[in-house]
Amino acid sequence: MSAHETSLCSHCLLPAGRRPVRQRLNGEEHIFCCYGCRIAFEVKHGRGEESEAAWLLVRIGVGAFLSMNIMLLSLLVYTGTFVGPDAYVLPWVHALMWLFATPAMVILGGPFLGEALRGAMEGRLTSSALIVIGVAAAYLYSAFAVLEGSTHVYFDTASMVLMLFTLGRYLEAESRAKAARDLEPLLAAENANATIVADGVETQRPVRDVARDMLVRVRPGELIPVDGVVAEGEANVDEAMITGESRPVAKAPGMPVIAGSINFDGALLVRCCCTGADTRWGNICQSVRDALSHRSSTQRIADRIVSISVPLVLALSGLTIAYWVQSEPFDRALLIGLAVLVVACPCAVGLAAPLATTLGIGRLARRGCLLREPELLETLATLRCVAFDKTGTLTTGSPHVTAIYTDRAGLDEVLSYSSGLERHSVHALAKAVTVAAVERGVRPLEAQAVRAIPGRGIRGMVDGVPAAVGSAALMCDLGWPLSLKLREHARGSEADGRSLVHVGWDGRVRGVLALEDVPRPEARTAVEALQSRGLYAILLTGDGTGSARDIATAVGIDEIEAGLSPEAKREALSRIRGSRGPVAMVGDGLNDGPVLADADVGVAVGSATDLAREAAALTLPENGFWMLPWVIDVARAVRRTILTNLLWAFGYNLVALTAAAIGLLQPILAAAVMAGSSLLVVMNSLRLARVPDPQPAELAARRSFHQDTPPNTSAVKAEYQPTA
Amino acid sequence: MAMTAYLVLFLAGFAGSFHCIGMCGGFACALGRDPRGPAATLTRHLLYNSGRVTSYCFLGVIAGALGQAICTSAGPSASPLDGSVDLAQRLLAIVAGLLMVTIGLQFFGVIKGFHPFAVGIGGSSFASTLRRVLKAPGRGAPLAFGVFNGLLPCPLVYAFLAQAASTAGALPGLLTMLAFGLGTFPAMFMMGGLGSAIGRPWRLRGVRLAGLFILLLGLVTLGRGVLPNGLLHGEHLV
Repeated sequence: MSAHETSLCSHCLLPAGRRPVRQRLNGEEHIFCCYGCRIAFEVKHGRGEESEAAWLLVRIGVGAFLSMNIMLLSLLVYTGTFVGPDAYVLPWVHALMWLFATPAMVILGGPFLGEALRGAMEGRLTSSALIVIGVAAAYLYSAFAVLEGSTHVYFDTASMVLMLFTLGRYLEAESRAKAARDLEPLLAAENANATIVADGVETQRPVRDVARDMLVRVRPGELIPVDGVVAEGEANVDEAMITGESRPVAKAPGMPVIAGSINFDGALLVRCCCTGADTRWGNICQSVRDALSHRSSTQRIADRIVSISVPLVLALSGLTIAYWVQSEPFDRALLIGLAVLVVACPCAVGLAAPLATTLGIGRLARRGCLLREPELLETLATLRCVAFDKTGTLTTGSPHVTAIYTDRAGLDEVLSYSSGLERHSVHALAKAVTVAAVERGVRPLEAQAVRAIPGRGIRGMVDGVPAAVGSAALMCDLGWPLSLKLREHARGSEADGRSLVHVGWDGRVRGVLALEDVPRPEARTAVEALQSRGLYAILLTGDGTGSARDIATAVGIDEIEAGLSPEAKREALSRIRGSRGPVAMVGDGLNDGPVLADADVGVAVGSATDLAREAAALTLPENGFWMLPWVIDVARAVRRTILTNLLWAFGYNLVALTAAAIGLLQPILAAAVMAGSSLLVVMNSLRLARVPDPQPAELAARRSFHQDTPPNTSAVKAEYQPTA
Repeated sequence: MAMTAYLVLFLAGFAGSFHCIGMCGGFACALGRDPRGPAATLTRHLLYNSGRVTSYCFLGVIAGALGQAICTSAGPSASPLDGSVDLAQRLLAIVAGLLMVTIGLQFFGVIKGFHPFAVGIGGSSFASTLRRVLKAPGRGAPLAFGVFNGLLPCPLVYAFLAQAASTAGALPGLLTMLAFGLGTFPAMFMMGGLGSAIGRPWRLRGVRLAGLFILLLGLVTLGRGVLPNGLLHGEHLV
């Protein structure tokens, strides 16, 4: 199974670590990061009466039965029920507790012992080992006490500690699975099934078996498993994962659908336009899976701490016993040592980072923003500066007519001649010219005998005279003269990086059209949003200063470095990094691959090329430039969550450890406290779901007028918006 | 004397179990018969019910011990079921009594919508957990099922827990819940064994009866808190 290669826990989708729990279920091999996840997974996915899931719950139930009986008897003993004339029953009560405790140890302690042994065989002490050692000490001591007729019996401690840890792990796994539910569609591509309709018969097949032109049925609420065209039916679908578009898109017969979209409300019959294995959804899933299987440096540090602290805790517990035994009876010292052992179990520390980063990556991926590895979330959160490429990033990448210079002709005349010819061309510049004519309300003139001259332009008869539209070279070929004034304008425009279209008729060049890229409509709000988050924006471009300045002014960027070669861009980046701190480079990834790779975070906008995807750390969807501020918000929220988690876990452990070492904390209480600590870390991470969804640019623009203070990225403030 | 008190609790449990039939009776039915014969069926239901009663007893001991802790921390400890009642115990009895009266009235439909813990956070996942255990094979399953079932939110159990707390002792607390639990045995056994329907009117009568018992017990408990010493225990008056 694929889960095997990248080692994600089958239940909570977190990296399963170096010592996963393996289990075969329903004929498939699964791996789990912990015992709790295994229980929870089997409870959820186990089928049929024989499922071991139920058996595990039965295990908890029977364990609870035994523990409750022990606890019940212990409470009776502690509250002084068997004193005075009733004291003769006390040994029997103790024996009864022993009777209950022995199966409880086996039933509840078995899995912990298994984990501890697996760790021991690899030469490591795990946190399960702490529990096993502590509980075994309490149990054995009590058993000897019963045999000796002593009254110091602690079966209740032994069984309740196990019970609480089992329960805590189960609850923790349950809430982690709640988080994983959001990630499921992002990892579902490889195992997705498609309902193939052939000759009126529907069959369920893995999506990789789907070939071109097959018909696939998609019911309401299902994921669309293939790229294709709607053949039958109407529905609203959610394409956020692929396009970043949060609003539902209406689909009717003849319209294309994308694999990975969620069909909200109608039954669709889809004709596949490519094989099932070859979808962008599949790529996204692979990318998310790769990202999740990486470990961030924070996580590595946390893991290191966990692995070091286990023997430390063991030693500390020994020292505690050694200290207390000088002033207290042995059984009391043992209990204090046990409390130390139990409370210092560093489970929450190991859990602090991965859950938050997994949630963050999943959150981004659901809107089509793909992150290469978890570590980048932390980098994104600490960014100081964002550098932009111009063409295709801040600009639409398609030219617009921005100036028309004329010679012995009217402006409209030039446009009507040129659009008359350009109507017959499919060239990008030609399209821009006809658009400009339409925008000015100029009617194109009829053209006859139109002939395209490859690489040069187009010519024909317009209004009875020979006319041509194209490059300066074409005019040169025709021998049509260019006036000095026009030549001046043309040279100036060209120097500023604008494209030129020459228009001529009746033996001379009559006009020059200057075309250039225009800024994306959402670029300004996005740049402003970034600046309001304390990021410095800078434009790095290979184009001329003039056009760069125009764009920079239009989107609100102050600093420009123009005319840079890719090598110079990289130098500029390292200079900025030196003066301002971590810097992100945003580009379309087409010709700036090396620069993207060189930035702290390379951001590629648009699906771009595979090469760009390789170089970029973060890929935004097509036209998804406006989501960058939101990505920063999510990254900052994740970072804050990790920090609070770590602070909490460490602080909690430290306080509880101190309390336990000076004998203030009962072992049972300590176990409850520890289980609670992990749960709190999980809960805190789940708050990440409350970071608001990104606002489309036009909404953000309207909002930003009312916003004087920089927007608070606090996760708490915004209302919770469920994702479909 | 104590015996009669526990007998009353047993009867209250018995009457109250007609309320249980609505909810837990469904579980008992679902547990059904064992294909291995009547003896196995009996074992199964015995295990289920002992699991359930163990949960009750556990809660009872905790409630009792809690009551005891409150009373001993407030003043010199007094054996709970004799007449000498100190202030803390009186207060405890008043609170418990009021709670029981409220729950009792709720059974008559006088007070509506008193379900403090019924809509817990993990309610639905708890239900699915129960469902899974119910379907599990093996001897342990009915026992585990009973344990979980005993922890389900139930006003009846709350009422008796209040009573257990007011006894201000771990052992009486245990015995209170044991008596109540044993009281629910027959009806649950009947549901499991016969699997047959007890008519709706009968069930309604049972619920009313349970409400009456709880109301009475609540008033008696309240009385222990409000009335002068020993008034409710005849032998002390002599």
